Amino acid sequence: MTPTVSASGLGLSYGRTRALDDVSLRLTPGVTGLLGPNGAGKTTLLRVLATAVPADRGAFTVLGHDPGTSRGRQEVRRRLGYLPQTPGFHPDFTAFEFVDYVAILKELADRRERHREVRRVLAEVDLGDVRGRRIKKLSGGMRQRVALAAALVGDPGFLVLDEPTVGLDPEQRMRFRELIAGAGEGRTVLLSTHQTEDVAMLCHRVIVMAAGTVCFDGTPAELTARAAGRVWSSTEKDPGAKAGWRTGTGSFRNVGDPPPGAEPAEPTLEDGYLLALDDAGTEVAA
Amino acid sequence: MRIENSDRRDGPTWHVDEDDLRAYARGELAAPALWSADAHLTACAACRGTLAGVSDTAALDAGWERLDAELDAPRPGRFERLLTWCGAGDGTARLLAATPVLRRSWFGALTAVLLVTFLVAVAAGAADRPTLFLACAPLLPLVSVALAYGPVLDPTHEMAVVSPMHGFRLLMIRTVAVLVVALGVGGLASLALPGFGPAALAWLLPGLALTTTGLALTPRLGPVAAPSVLVGAWAAVLLAADAARASTDGPLAPFTAAGQGVSGLVAVLGAGLLFLLRDRFDVSGRGVV
Repeated sequence: MTPTVSASGLGLSYGRTRALDDVSLRLTPGVTGLLGPNGAGKTTLLRVLATAVPADRGAFTVLGHDPGTSRGRQEVRRRLGYLPQTPGFHPDFTAFEFVDYVAILKELADRRERHREVRRVLAEVDLGDVRGRRIKKLSGGMRQRVALAAALVGDPGFLVLDEPTVGLDPEQRMRFRELIAGAGEGRTVLLSTHQTEDVAMLCHRVIVMAAGTVCFDGTPAELTARAAGRVWSSTEKDPGAKAGWRTGTGSFRNVGDPPPGAEPAEPTLEDGYLLALDDAGTEVAA
Repeated sequence: MRIENSDRRDGPTWHVDEDDLRAYARGELAAPALWSADAHLTACAACRGTLAGVSDTAALDAGWERLDAELDAPRPGRFERLLTWCGAGDGTARLLAATPVLRRSWFGALTAVLLVTFLVAVAAGAADRPTLFLACAPLLPLVSVALAYGPVLDPTHEMAVVSPMHGFRLLMIRTVAVLVVALGVGGLASLALPGFGPAALAWLLPGLALTTTGLALTPRLGPVAAPSVLVGAWAAVLLAADAARASTDGPLAPFTAAGQGVSGLVAVLGAGLLFLLRDRFDVSGRGVV
């Protein structure tokens, strides 16, 4: 399958800090999750792939276009949807006006066609009924949906979502997951998140980043399998564990190298994620 | 064409010809037959039924969609309508008029002009010289333009940067709009100052020079540091000119003919450099722009 995004050796430094270090990846249609702790380089990678900031090193293509050239960048942006980590709004705009404003930035020149597109994307995120309401009067979840609608203008082939479920309550998060799943049908979505649940429920593939590098790239099942035989339960926190925490049943769940005779536990995606970070040399103690 | 109806006593005594109804449905029926059909259809269920039968469903749906879209469209504000009336496209008018950061810039520019004019009036009473006004006024377009673009005051900057619209084009649209207001209002304020005459316009070229140079330095220094550096540089130039002035009655060097020539040259060079660096406005530049 021809990849939507193909990147090789991407690097970006801020002063002496290497935010991205030799990142290579290929993204295909469907939702790919991007996991990693704060400072791992997730947002930097997303901003590079979204053409917001150029990389220092390496190269990549999106939908066959090279964003390193002015013409290629324009072509990529015509097929790109981007929801930044903290999407900014003009609070006095209505939802319709804001998405219309973004549609103008996306060069939808014909007013009638543009308004039709604005109505379509607002309906797609279930905001058709509140399109005339001012953004400052919308809930946090609704604002995120407005931002998603703006990202969906023009039916982009590549959708970049930077932690869209942060700050949402469980019900809103569920609703947003449904929308992302819908958006992932027929297009390539790169979803940055802290939530392993997002990845487990939405993604056909997961990339784990630590310290600016990719430390895992595979399916969620493969990430989970990485923890097979490395998770155990105990009545007290095991000091030899890489990470351990008390569960709802009162027992401790430990990940790492189990001691002889340890009571094995069923591995989860979260266990695999923690071990991938640990294998990459990132502190994971819980 | 009318067809007389002799069968019904309680309804209209005539019906619209079917060909006319077809033309009506296509939107091709001309006045006065159109007016007649309009009035008749409101009262005649039979003709409405015939109309429904001859109408192209797809065209009717498209018509409803257009109507719905028009009713749904944001009503342009007064300023946006004015911009459209002046010839701006509806998209450009929306980019300009519906951007709060620009409203603040314009408001800031107007406030600054009024403030500077007031200070000058006070200073003029004491010294009868436009020096204070000429020193402050060039900063007006510089600061106004700095406020109109960049991540500091535009909450949608990140989305704007990754949009297909070239960052330089967006910058120029906003810059021209802000400059028109700042230079126009400032120019009028200058001419309104008593006793200064056209000499009060000597700030225009230094203002343009500072603005173009400030924009050209923005990709390197950022939208806050670039104008700040230029404010400092302008103050230094004025202090140096004051120290070098032979007589206290003469104008400072930047406001002499030679100084105006230098300002014009700097403005052109700044504009040229800005054009050469236009692609630098198309990416965020590590949060600088």
